[in-house]
Amino acid sequence: MTGPGRPGPAVIADELRQVLAAATGRPELAALTLDTPLFGGGVGLDSLTGTLLLRQIRQRFGVDVAAEDLNLDALTTLGTLTTFVCDRVVPDQVVSDRAVYRGS
Amino acid sequence: MSTAVLVKCVVWDLDNTLLRGTYLESLPDRPPADPAISGLLAELGRRGIVHAIASRNPPEAAEYAAQATGCEFVAAECGWGRKSEALARIAAGLDISVDALAFVDDDPYERAEVGAALPGVRVLSPEDAAEAVGWPEFSPAVVTEEARRRAGLYRQRHRRQQAEQAFTGSHEDFLRACQTEVTIAAASPADVPRLHELSERTSQFNSAGQGLPAESIAALLGAPATDVLTVRLRDRFADDGLVGACVIDWRQDRVAAVPLLMMSCRAIGRGVIDSLLTWLAGRAARRGAAAVQVPCPVSERSVPLRLALARAGFRAIADQAARPGRTVFRCDLGTPQPALPDWVTVPGEA
Repeated sequence: MTGPGRPGPAVIADELRQVLAAATGRPELAALTLDTPLFGGGVGLDSLTGTLLLRQIRQRFGVDVAAEDLNLDALTTLGTLTTFVCDRVVPDQVVSDRAVYRGS
Repeated sequence: MSTAVLVKCVVWDLDNTLLRGTYLESLPDRPPADPAISGLLAELGRRGIVHAIASRNPPEAAEYAAQATGCEFVAAECGWGRKSEALARIAAGLDISVDALAFVDDDPYERAEVGAALPGVRVLSPEDAAEAVGWPEFSPAVVTEEARRRAGLYRQRHRRQQAEQAFTGSHEDFLRACQTEVTIAAASPADVPRLHELSERTSQFNSAGQGLPAESIAALLGAPATDVLTVRLRDRFADDGLVGACVIDWRQDRVAAVPLLMMSCRAIGRGVIDSLLTWLAGRAARRGAAAVQVPCPVSERSVPLRLALARAGFRAIADQAARPGRTVFRCDLGTPQPALPDWVTVPGEA
């Protein structure tokens, strides 16, 4: 459901691309397609980049993926992650500026 | 298992804490280092505890403090923001939990601010710090070769991170360019002190979720149907030594049970945990097992380990025997098994 103040899937997917590119230090990921596997060859998400990604998602969308998804299936592809975040995002939580990385 | 969480890094204020006086107000002279505190820095350093600076001064004050105290600082946050935020950045930069930090400042306001924002940090006045060397949080049971070299390893880690930022190419290509070498080998009795230390220090990558006494580790080395494996890591920047380990229990039929899987936070992002999980699957398959099972705590702290398990194809299963707050993750072994990266060597295996 997209309404005023609630970002739609396209906006969230774009934000996630930016976060992935920043977490991995690979700007080319800003053009990632929705069906690209995140763990496999395409993105190569690992413990370090995955932790940064999940932390940024919590800060920017207020969604705690690890707390809600035991098997982390949301991280299968960019598309599954977008759907997961889109279904749970709290509009007030969205931070449009680059969130400052502050650790835990 | 010891109950006190070990302090891994002490964050020091400069003015009237490390230094006898106020840096900016003393210019052009500079205040001398407090000799008692300098001695404390050296003593904690010998125990494998590293030091950092959080100061309301320009960055050159931190460089001066390093000269004046003769101590190496693994991070310096100089600025006028909140010290709690400086501490959070220091912990994130070292990949350690803020709960593994202690903070020493003569200013009660700064101590209160950090204490309120980060309740897990041990907050001390300079007078407290002198006594704290006797506290269990500052007294690791064993101090290993890895511990003594820790400050240097953090410095080399920083150089590696800078090299990676400048590197264009995949992360795997970067690991190769660094001449990364991961060595997996059976543990020997000489490894027991370091394995014990690792089990006490690891929090994000410790599937047992707690430390293991040295005697228990020594007993596992000779236990029937049990393998204890060590993982060592080196590259062209540094020899990190023993950074990971796992215990495999072969007593169940066709299941390789892994009651302990652990890795130093310093080795995160360097292909170690993924190599170990790949090797585990291959080893289990060769011994005729159909699955590998790793019980793991489910908490915010274990997210990096859960990411590694998910990446390696593990899934949570219902297991009545699992303790509360823990879930058993299982990887069914298909064929063919994924190949080990070329930087992994396993002496004793063809």
